[in-house]
This record gives sequence, structure tokens and C-alpha cells, in this order.
Amino acid sequence: MEGILFKIFGAFITALLAFTVGMLFGGLRRKVIARAQNRVGPPVYQNFLDLLKLQSKTTNIAHGFMGHMAPVWIIIAAMTTLMFIPVLQGDLWFENLTMKGDLIFLLYMMVFGNLGMALGAGQSGNPNSVLGVSRGLSQLVGFEIPYFLAITALMLQFQTTTIAEFLNIQAETGVWIVLQNPFAFIAAVLASLGMFMYAPFNIVGAPAELASGPRAEFGGKYLGTMMTGGAVFAFIKLVLMVDLFLGGAGNNNLEGIAGTAVGLLELLLKTFLFYMIPVFVAIVSPRYRTEQAIRFFWKWPTFFGILAIVWALYKNGTFN
Amino acid sequence: MEIIAIILLILLVGSMLTFLIDSFSSKLTGITAFLFSLAASVVFFTQIPSGYQFKFQLAGLDLQWGLTDYSYYFAYIIFGMSVLALLYSIKYMEGKGRLGYFYGSFLLTILGMFGVVISQDFVSLFIFWEIMTWASFLLVIYNAYYKVKTKGVKYMIFSAIGAYAMLTAIVFIRVHYDTLLISEAIAKGAFNFEQYIYIPIFLLLGFSIKAAVMPFHVWAPSAYSKSPMSFTTIFSGAMSKMGVFGIGLVFTSIYLGTNPENFYWVRTILGWLGGITAVMGTIYALIQTDAKKLLAYSSVAQLGYIVVGLSTGTKLGIMAALYLTVIHAVFKGALFMVAGAVEKQAGTTDMTKISGLIRRMPWTFLVALVSIIALAGMPPVGGFVGKWLLYEALITESNNYILVVVVFFSSTAAFLYSYRFLYGLFLGQEEKDTKDVKEAPITMLIPMLILMIIAIVSGAVPGLIFEPAAKAMEAIGFQDVTWQMSSLTNLWGDTTNLGLISMLIGAVFVIVFVFITLKGYKNTKDVGTKDISTSGEIPKEWENLSFQQDFFQPFQRAAAPLYSMNMNKIWKNLGENLEAFFGFFRKLYTGNGQTYALYVVIFLVVLLLFKDVIFS
Repeated sequence: MEGILFKIFGAFITALLAFTVGMLFGGLRRKVIARAQNRVGPPVYQNFLDLLKLQSKTTNIAHGFMGHMAPVWIIIAAMTTLMFIPVLQGDLWFENLTMKGDLIFLLYMMVFGNLGMALGAGQSGNPNSVLGVSRGLSQLVGFEIPYFLAITALMLQFQTTTIAEFLNIQAETGVWIVLQNPFAFIAAVLASLGMFMYAPFNIVGAPAELASGPRAEFGGKYLGTMMTGGAVFAFIKLVLMVDLFLGGAGNNNLEGIAGTAVGLLELLLKTFLFYMIPVFVAIVSPRYRTEQAIRFFWKWPTFFGILAIVWALYKNGTFN
Repeated sequence: MEIIAIILLILLVGSMLTFLIDSFSSKLTGITAFLFSLAASVVFFTQIPSGYQFKFQLAGLDLQWGLTDYSYYFAYIIFGMSVLALLYSIKYMEGKGRLGYFYGSFLLTILGMFGVVISQDFVSLFIFWEIMTWASFLLVIYNAYYKVKTKGVKYMIFSAIGAYAMLTAIVFIRVHYDTLLISEAIAKGAFNFEQYIYIPIFLLLGFSIKAAVMPFHVWAPSAYSKSPMSFTTIFSGAMSKMGVFGIGLVFTSIYLGTNPENFYWVRTILGWLGGITAVMGTIYALIQTDAKKLLAYSSVAQLGYIVVGLSTGTKLGIMAALYLTVIHAVFKGALFMVAGAVEKQAGTTDMTKISGLIRRMPWTFLVALVSIIALAGMPPVGGFVGKWLLYEALITESNNYILVVVVFFSSTAAFLYSYRFLYGLFLGQEEKDTKDVKEAPITMLIPMLILMIIAIVSGAVPGLIFEPAAKAMEAIGFQDVTWQMSSLTNLWGDTTNLGLISMLIGAVFVIVFVFITLKGYKNTKDVGTKDISTSGEIPKEWENLSFQQDFFQPFQRAAAPLYSMNMNKIWKNLGENLEAFFGFFRKLYTGNGQTYALYVVIFLVVLLLFKDVIFS
């Protein structure tokens, strides 16, 4: 019984961390973009204020059952994915269910929320929303290909599909996977640009054109809950990248609370630095049309993905 | 009398009886057919154990019927799906004409399929195969009774090619190995690609036409979508699986062989054909505007995955194929039933004409939603298990690294048409002309809900399907097939615990659902689909806000080169060329007696000139 309570407490702590970091990074992004455009920009905690406002709205509008369910789907996808990703290596609080699922499962679970949101947007009956969904799903087929190539390359090179194992390998060899298979990293980074849906791949919710696309008809508690899910998801994507390529966090020799604190700092630093890649790209980019975006993902990122697989096969000795 | 003959007799008598009853009371026909199929399956599941065998002689040939664990596995699908489809038919077919014709052929098709899986010699296999094909052909043309020439012709031509190929192979087996028993032929290596290569190739041709593998898939989309939906449920769910059954059977020699690397190229070719089938099926599914056509193309794609699984020849791969065989029957059966229910209640399945049925047909929507999640392969529903097994088999056990990307591309693009199906029929603007649509009758809902529950349960406890599948694999020559009740393990020892995943998703679902429903419950308004803001303006009642045409235009543009490949065109060109070629021979028949006399003279002269060569 105590074990279960500890697990639930750990899950709660993890979720809280993911939420806070996700929201904070969202605020930082707005600030960074504003400074780059020579504006003052909103304060870093602006996203928290937005959420507070949305959740305290007295009237809420739903457009039917699927509209009501869309935020639920997103939270399900976010929480389930979070539980299976190692946040801090070897820390019992953040262990959760990390050994109980593998990368293929995560790959599918991460799309679950998108489909839920798409269904919610579909039921609203707003043609702009559905247009956004059509673009979003098309773009999904674009960036999932290089991403899948990259993680397949990693699986082949290290003969495992569990994320915790990738962390162990990096801890044992002392070399981050970004150096062991650089092509996979390039493919994954390019794919993650699409995953974050910032410019130039932000046609899905293009505000000026589609009235913010799939989210157009959501407001109040619905939009607020979706925002929470989105923040957790941003954190998940970053941690997954850091775990897979940048050695993860929490792999230190310190005991107790000091070890956790240092691990968390390491995590924040690494995720933030990685997060700046899509943000900086967004600052200097205009917007792609959907088919251009798809074509982009099927060209260079896919090329690097195939290169990554060849490199992985060379490294694990298939060619010998 | 042998019990297996009784089952065949029940189905045969049922088929004739329903045909006769139709002239007295067309209402009783459906119920009679349902009861007969129920009786047959009850007798089958209670009386026939696996390993049963029955030998007899007919016209000097040794015939043998029986069931191994492998054929039992397929018999589950046949009887399970048939009973549900016939229960569904009662209301679905109500009010349509020629019910005796329909149900008679339906039961005959079941008989044919059952016969195929129980046949242990080639003669009965071929006879039952033909019964199945011809009975199903009658059902394919049911809706086009007076336009047979245009509607069913593709199905008939391809089926005939498949049948001839099979017959040729059977004759060659008889000539080279002097046996007609399947087990003996396997033992003597008849399916071996190293001895007489054309035997397995002809057999594979026959079976893969039924499984609609590229490039022989062109009959499938129109045949699936043109038949009555209650039949398509087993047409795509069970009958196409007879092809899978046969491919598995032919491959036993590969699986049994000590060194599967010998057959590397055979497996690679078949695997790639499966992969291309999956991609082409998917990209054509997502441009369809008719829900039935969409599902038909999607069936072609899903069969592609199964063939990819079979072609790996590894334990995990075959397990994936067998698992997908069942789960595809379950969710695609449910989806065809959904399409049928919409067709029955709303009059059409054309997605450009109807939309927003979710409030009118909520239960049907629920079934569609769960089945679509299974189709897209998302956890926690059963479809995910099949996808997981397939990927892990391709990555860890086989060395088809590019094929795995092709499969992944196809299954990601499947999200597009999955969404299209749900959106097209159930979501979107609620138009006035669908206001009077009612929920489907209860006897149509029950089979759909049963299939939905199977899909959900198999996602949490796939062991229920693994158990018979593992037995089936042991029956075709694998040893020590391992499986767990509710978790998946690959060759490298990585596990995915499905029980935990289902519980976690269930728990989060309940918590968030309660939260979002209760928070500000009184002030949450559920408004219609006209109460929306489009760029800050409130749309008028008469404004058309449906978005159904060219739904995935961006994807179509990006993938334009893929769309330029069309197998239909290639077959059509081949057909026209053949027509021109044979047209030349037709010119010989001038209709003039003198020309014919000349032919006879020429023939005699040739005979005289070359008599030494010919008769030596």
C-alpha cells in the first residue's frame, strides 16, 4: 500500500514539475521572441496568468460531446506519456513507470492527444478549425517520418527500445548519443521543429488566417485545460530529446536531496538549451505552406534519417 | 454421420431453406439464416475438438477433412463474424428485395470458407474455394443485378485467374509428388522454392489474389464497397483472411526449414508487395469521399500489414500477422457495420452529402470511435498491439529496415483517413436534412457493440488472442512460442505492460472527465454547430459551412508523385493490348466457307510435311 501511495505521490510531483517547467518555458519563449523583435514583451509568468483567467471564467461554451472530451484526451495523452519517460535518472521520485513501456508505445501515445483535439475541433462545426486539422494531420505525416527514422537508427545501434536503457548506455560509455550517432540527432532536431509547430511550421493554427485553427471554438475551462496539456507536452518532447541524445539528467554521485537538486538544474539547463533551437528558428522564419512543409520533411531530414540508419548498421557491425 | 459433415449440411440446408422461405415470408428469411449459422457455430464449438480428422473416399480419391490448431484459429473468425453479420443483416436487409438470393448465397459463402479451412487435401480445398468465390460473387453483384457486366467483372476475372493458378499448382503437385494430401505435400517439400518453383508461386498467386495483395488488389475496393455492407463485414473481415490462411500454409516450408535465409528473396519480395499494398491502399483511402470506399481501400492497406507480418517469417512477425488477422476482422467488421447503419438510417454514405450525425446516432458513433482508434493503432485499444508486434518484429528480428519505414508511413497516413471517416459522417455541421435521422435498430447495434468490446478488451488483455494464435503457430511448425497475458516483450527483452497502460489511461480519464464536467457545471452551455465564430462573424442559418471536398488537399499536393501510380491503369492497358492481340486471331474467322476449306488444306499439308517431326 505504501508503495502505491509513494508512486502516486511521485507521479504528482512529476506532473507538477512538468506543468511548471512547460508553462515557464512558454513564457520565456514569448519573452525571447519579443526581445529579438525589440519589444519589451510580456512577463515570464504571463502564461500562468492566462491560465488563471481561463480557468476562472464563469460561463463555458461546449459544442457537443467530442468538444467536451477534447481536453480530456489531451490530458490523458500528456499524463500517460509523462509517466513512461524517465525525467531524472535513478531518482525514485521520478521513476514512475519508466521501465513498463517503450519507444514505439510512446510514439503512438504522443499522437493520441492530437487526434482527440482534432475530433473536438471537428465537432465544433467551424470550417476554419477543420481546415487547421487537415493541415495539422498532413504535416504530422511529414515530420513523423524523419523522427521515426532517427529513433529506429538508435534502436538498431543500441539494440534496445527502452528509454531507460538509452540513459544507462550513455552513463556507462560516458559519451552522449549525439556524438555516437550525430545523423540521428540532426534528423530528430529537424523533425522536432515540426513537432513544436512554431514558425516556419505554424500554418496549423495560423492566427491571422484561420482564427487560430483547431482551437478556435474552445474557451474558458476547455482552453485552459488544453493549455495545461500543451505545457506538459512541451516538457515531454524536450525531456525525450534530452534523454535520447544529450545524456539525460540526474546522473551524478551526490546523495539525497542535493543529488536531486543538481539533477533538476542539469535537466532545466539542457531542456532550455534544446528548446531554444525551435524558438530561434521561429524568430527568423516566415511561414511554409503545408505541402512545402511536408516536402521539406521528406527531403533533408529524411536523408539524414536514412544516413543515421546506415551509420547505426555500420556501428553495430551488420556490414562486417 | 460425421459431425463435420453435419455442420456442412446445416449450412447447405439453411442456404436452400432460406431461398425457399423467401417466397412465403421475406421477414423470416433473415431470422432463419441467422438461426442456421448460429446452429452451425454452436455445433462446431461444442462438438469438434482441435485435431479432429475425417477421412473418406470419393471417386477413387482419398479425401480428408479435419482441423489443426491453425485452421481452428481461422474457424473462430469465420463463425464469430458470420453469426454477428447475420444478426446485423436481419434489420439491415429489411425491405430490400431478393432476400432469399442474398441469404442463400451468404450461407453458401460461410460453407465455402469453413470448407477451405477444414480441407486437408487439395481437391476439397479447390472445390470449397470455388464455392466460396462463386457464392460471394453473387453477393457482390447483389446491388447491381441488372448491370453485372460493369460491376462485378473485375472480381470475377481476378478470381478466375487465381483459381486457374491454384488448379495448375495442384495438378503439378499431383504429377511431381503423387499426392493430394496437403500434409504429405508439405512433408515432401512441394511448397519448397528450391525444387519446382512454379508450384508455390502459382499457389501464392491464387491466395494473394484473395488477400488483395498488390498488384492484384484492383478488384477489392469496388467489390468491398459495392456489396451490401452486412456482407462486406465478412467479405473483408473473414473471406480475405482465407488468402492469409493460404499464404501462411504455403510458407510453412519456409518456417519449418532449418535455414530461413535460403528464402530471403521470396520473403523480401512478398514483404515489399505487402508494404506497397499498405501505402497505396492508405493514400487512396484518404482521398475518397464515400465512406464505404474509404473503408474498402483501408481494408486493402490493412491486409498489406498482415502480409508484411507473414513475410518476416519470425515468431513475432507471424504473431503480428495472426493477431492483426483477428483484430482487423473485429474493427473493420464494426466499421463496415457502422457504414451500413449510416446508409440504412441516413440513406447515403457519401460524406459530401451528410455530416454531423453524432447527436442523431450516438451509439453508432461510439462504436465508430473505438474502432477507428483500433484502426489507427493507438493504445489502449487492441489495434496498437498488432502494430507494436509488427514494428518490433521488423526492427528486432528481421533486417528490413526500409520496409519498416514504409509501413510506418502508411500507418501514420492512416490517421488522416481515420479522422476523415469520423469527421465526414459524424462530426462537422449538423444540416437540416439529417434532422430526422434516428439511431440504428437494436439488433444492428448489438453486434457492433460486441465487436467494440472485443476491441477494447484485447487492448488490455491481448493474451486472450495470443493463446490460440500461439497454438496455431505451433501447428505450422514453430516451437516454444511465448506470450504473456497482458504485456508485450520483444527479442531484446523490452516490455510494454498493457494492463498498466489501460489502468493508467482509465484512471486519468475518470479524473479529468469528472473535473471538466463538474467544474462550473451550471454555467456550461452546450450549443449547436451554428453558434460559432468565423473570423468574428456569426454565420447565418443558410450559410454552408461544410468542409468535405478535397479534404486532404495539402497532403495530396505533397504526395503527388505517389498518386500518379495507378495499378488500375496498368491492368487496363494490359487488357487493351491483349484485346488487340487476340483481335488478330479473330480475323481468322472470316465466315467464308472457302477460307475454312483452305485452312483444312493448309493443316493437312503441314501435317504431311512435318509428320516425321510430330509423330516421331
